[in-house]
Parts: sequence; structure tokens; C-alpha cells
Amino acid sequence: MYRYDEFDSALVQDRIAEFRDQVARRVSGALTEDQFKPLRLMNGVYLQLHAYMLRVAVPYGVMRSAQMRKLAHIARTYDKGYGHFTTRTNIQFNWPALTDIPTILEDLAMVEMHAIQTSGNCIRNVTTDVFAGAADDEIEDPRPWCEILRQWSTIHPEFSFLPRKFKIAVIASETDRAAIRTHDVGLQIVQGADGQTAFRVFVGGGQGRLPHIAKEIASAVPGREILAYLTAILRAYNLLGRRDNIHKARIKILVEAIGIEAFREEVERHHAELRLEDLILPTDELERIRASFAPPPFETLTRHSGAFDRAVLAEPEFARWTRNNVRRHKVAGYASAIISLKPVDGVPGDITAAQMEAVANLAERFGFDEVRAAYEQNLVLPHVRLDELPTIWRALDAAGLATANADLATDIIACPGLDYCSLANARSIPVAQALSRRLADLDHQERIGPVRINMSGCINACGHHHVGHIGILGVDRKGEEFYQITVGGSPDEKAALGEIVGRSLSADETPLAIERALNRYLDIRTDGERFIDTVRRVGASPFREAIYAPLDA
Amino acid sequence: MKLITANRLSDGRVIYVGADDGAVDAMLQAASFDEDQADAALGRAAARPDVFVNPYLVEVRGQTPSGRDRLKETIRATGPTVGHSLDAR
Repeated sequence: MYRYDEFDSALVQDRIAEFRDQVARRVSGALTEDQFKPLRLMNGVYLQLHAYMLRVAVPYGVMRSAQMRKLAHIARTYDKGYGHFTTRTNIQFNWPALTDIPTILEDLAMVEMHAIQTSGNCIRNVTTDVFAGAADDEIEDPRPWCEILRQWSTIHPEFSFLPRKFKIAVIASETDRAAIRTHDVGLQIVQGADGQTAFRVFVGGGQGRLPHIAKEIASAVPGREILAYLTAILRAYNLLGRRDNIHKARIKILVEAIGIEAFREEVERHHAELRLEDLILPTDELERIRASFAPPPFETLTRHSGAFDRAVLAEPEFARWTRNNVRRHKVAGYASAIISLKPVDGVPGDITAAQMEAVANLAERFGFDEVRAAYEQNLVLPHVRLDELPTIWRALDAAGLATANADLATDIIACPGLDYCSLANARSIPVAQALSRRLADLDHQERIGPVRINMSGCINACGHHHVGHIGILGVDRKGEEFYQITVGGSPDEKAALGEIVGRSLSADETPLAIERALNRYLDIRTDGERFIDTVRRVGASPFREAIYAPLDA
Repeated sequence: MKLITANRLSDGRVIYVGADDGAVDAMLQAASFDEDQADAALGRAAARPDVFVNPYLVEVRGQTPSGRDRLKETIRATGPTVGHSLDAR
């Protein structure tokens, strides 16, 4: 895992000292809120409904146990004993006092964490495949490239005042587990003609009020030129992107307005100049960073584990958890384990301080000291031995973290909604909870199979409702909460926006309507067809009918 | 009638303008203003940025939010309706 060098440490410490001074001046009255707001946003501090909210960066979702323990300490000391993992693989604290935040940032710096670029119109935390370095279908580990992008983009003056925020995701396999086409820039590692790393580049994706699926702009940018190419994209956006209307300022609007061909020409014009400058990645630096992500010392094991097989036979609930939450690993005898943060009736993405410590202990003891945050608001132990999965599962179960629902109907992605967020129009969490109670039976969920349900409390779409197989959007109608349902969205390599199926429903009607849509799928699916496959085959109409027929009767 | 609400500068918690223009934590303790007085009282709160961050008016009937944002203001007044913060109160 990457460790800070002296530049990283100095940069973070300088920023904390600067922010401590800014907070002191705000509290003394020397700075007004209007003056202070852009400064606090550059340090991940929002003012939400009930309190300040601190968003802490988890670069490309990778954490060590010491970092997880520090997050637990912060939750317990400065907050109300819990944190919330987001769809950008960051963690948010909902209740810190402004006057405590400089000290919290010092605590974070002790474990090489910070809150820089978690808000504001800059390049945000880069995300990647949660199974990076473990998946058996990746061309190479994408994390070194994420780290290179982090170093390149951090407090880069040219990218500190973009027209709007800018999100990048990186994958290294054909299967997209990081939703790259919903990002401002999506990068897919491919093999170049010379056998070296190259990048297939997508641009102009994004959700929110005007959702777009990213378009391919380049098929194979050589790895050593990727910073020059990305700088060319950012430069074209910085120069041409709109700044007069916040709703039309994202790069997706620019790409849509001038067309991908014209935008590509702009980018290539900048790239032709930039590739001759010092933005070509030095080979020794690339190798230095790659070395930080060298595989852990895996043992030579066989593909089968007697301890694992015996536990599967002896404990049905363990067997269920392995069916649903354990993923294949590239190294024989190992697996990746998904820790669901979606218990029945829980708050998607929430985790208590005690649970953070339980996860830290497991990562340290069984997982090469590594834990990942997934954009689906779950955690992952990327490298664990099959032999040790029964012990891990028992520890997770004791901590309330063994819900066997990864990628199933109750693995709901949901934003905090109107319970916390000052932008929200409607609550998300209670609807997600009602749905999770309704669909709690795991036998039934397994019959339904993988389905992604996403819930946002407003059109800003932090819950990614546009690309949920079933999406739920909270809307305000004359002061009442209503929920609009979409069907057929998809965040993966076949990315698509969902289709709105009809009028919005009340909070009480919504879970029943979703259940009817899932039951319709069970009625009409063919053998082996997942929910999204059926929607792609038959379209949204049967689901529309299932949702509305009883209401219209 | 109207109340004036804001977030407290030091910790961001929801506060209201109470009697004598002081800051109070509970909506029930908030002072009510009629249309004629509300803007002037809002101005006085805005003039104290060391306490009141982003003060604004809330429509109420009695001491209960009644305007279009009534749900949001009720949640601000009483806290999240779900989740771990309920246990921490």
C-alpha cells in the first residue's frame, strides 16, 4: 500500500495549519460565512441540516487497519459513535463541531488521511474497482495509476477552480465494477499495441439533474502519456465549460453541447502540445509507485480448503454468506469477502465505531492489513484465505456485519436524504429501510438473485438512482415526499440510464411497488436471466404494469 | 407567524432566535414574529454572524412548521428520523 513521502506529509500538515487559522478567524468573526464557505469546502467541511459534516477522503477506497481504527476513534470522540461510507468510497461524519475539525484533521494526518478535495470544484477522490489487485480478470492492478492521478491532481493550481466538480474512476478489466461511464472521466486499462499499459478513455458521464453516459474519446492512450492526455481534457473543459449556470457546468454538458468529435479535436490539440512537455511519466517513478502496491506475501495454497468446505456443510448461514458475499481471487486458496453495511432495517453505509474496530482487527489478523471501501457502500477484505473465512464470518456475525446480501435486493445504495442533507427533497433512509424489511427473507432474495436498487433523496443523485436496475428518486410535491421509480438503469460496462415508469408514489406505496416489480421479474424471467437481463429483453413495460396496475384499479 | 432559525457557528447545531434575540436550542423556545416584525428580527440575527450562520425565516402555525418546507424544518427541529444518532441522543 502507498505510504506518504515527505512531500505528502508536509502538504497535509501545511493544509491543517492553514485551516486551523481559517477556523480561528471564522470563530473570531474575522471571516464571514460567505468568505469561509469556499475555504471549508476545500477541506471537506459542509454545513448540513443538523451540524457540520466532515467528508474524509479514502483514496481509491483503500485503508489500513490503523486508519480504520483512527476513524473509529474520531467517530467516538468527536461524533456520535458512527460514520457513513459514501458512493465515492469516502467516509462522512455527521456531527463534528467546527472548532474540533482542525484537531480531527491532525488525528487523520497521523494515519496519512485527510479531507482535501472531498468537495468543491476540483478533481475529487479517484475511485476504482474494489477488487483491485485481487480480481482474476484484471490486466494489472489499477491502484498505482489511481495513486499517480491522486498525486497529479492534488492541489493542482490549474484544476482548483474548475467550472464544477470532476470525478475520475479507473478499472483494469472488461467488467466494470467502478461505474466508470457515470464519471466525468472513466479510464479502462487496456493493453497497448506495444504490450504496455494503455488507457481507453471515456468522457462526459455524470448523473445529477441531467444524466449522461460517458462517451469514448480515445481507445488506447499510452500509459506514460495519460497525465498529458488528462490535462488536455481538463484544459479543454476549463476553457470551454460553462460557468454561468451551476446546472450546466459539468463536462457532460460541454461534451453534449459541442459533440464528442469536436471535443476530441480540442483535447487532441492540447495533447499535441502537452505530450512534448514534462507531463510524460518517468519510468522509474511509475515503478516506484507500482512497488507500493506489490501483492502481499500470499502463501502457496491449493484451490480447495478442507476447513472451508466443512464449514459450508456444517453451517447453512455460513454457506449462504459465502454464496453471496465471497468473490473469487486470482490467487489459489484466497478469496475476497464483502462486508455488507446493509443490515435489514439499517442505514445503508453506516458503521459504528465498534464495527470499524472489528473490521480493523480482521484486516490486521487475516487480511494483510488491508480493507477497502466499495462505492456500493460496503467494505471488502480483498485478500483472505479460504481456510480462515469461517473464523472471519463468525467475527463479522458477532459484530453485526455478516448480512449475506451483497448484490442482492437489500444491498441498497442510498444517500443520506432529508434526514441529514440540506439539499434533499425527501428522505431516503426510511424508504430503503422499509424496502429492506419487506424483502428481508434471504431465501427470497437469493431466488431473485442480483439486482441493484438505488435511492436518492434529490435530483443530485448521490444514491446513483439513474443507474440502479431499479432507481428511486425522492421528490417534493407541495411539501409532501413522493418517490419516482426508474427501471433498467445499469452502472456497468453496459451502462444505461433507467426509464421513468410513471407518476411518483408515496413512501408507503413505494416498497410494495418495488416488490411487485421484482415479483413480475420472477414470473417472466427465462432460465439464468438476472433482473437486468430480463429488463433488457422485455423493456420497462411489464414492470410499469406491475407497479401501477393495482394502484390504478 | 414566523420563527427565525440558523445553525450555530461553533458546532453547526440548529438554533432559533428566542426571547430577547438570544439563541435557543429548541423550536418550542423560539420567539414568534408576525409579518411586520419578522424581517427586522431576521436582520438582527444576521448582524450576529458569530452565533447565527445563514439565518432565515420559518413559517409556523403555533410552534409547528407549516410552510412548504415543513418536513425539512420538523426534521431540523427534532433530528434525523432514523439511524444511529437516535441511540446517541
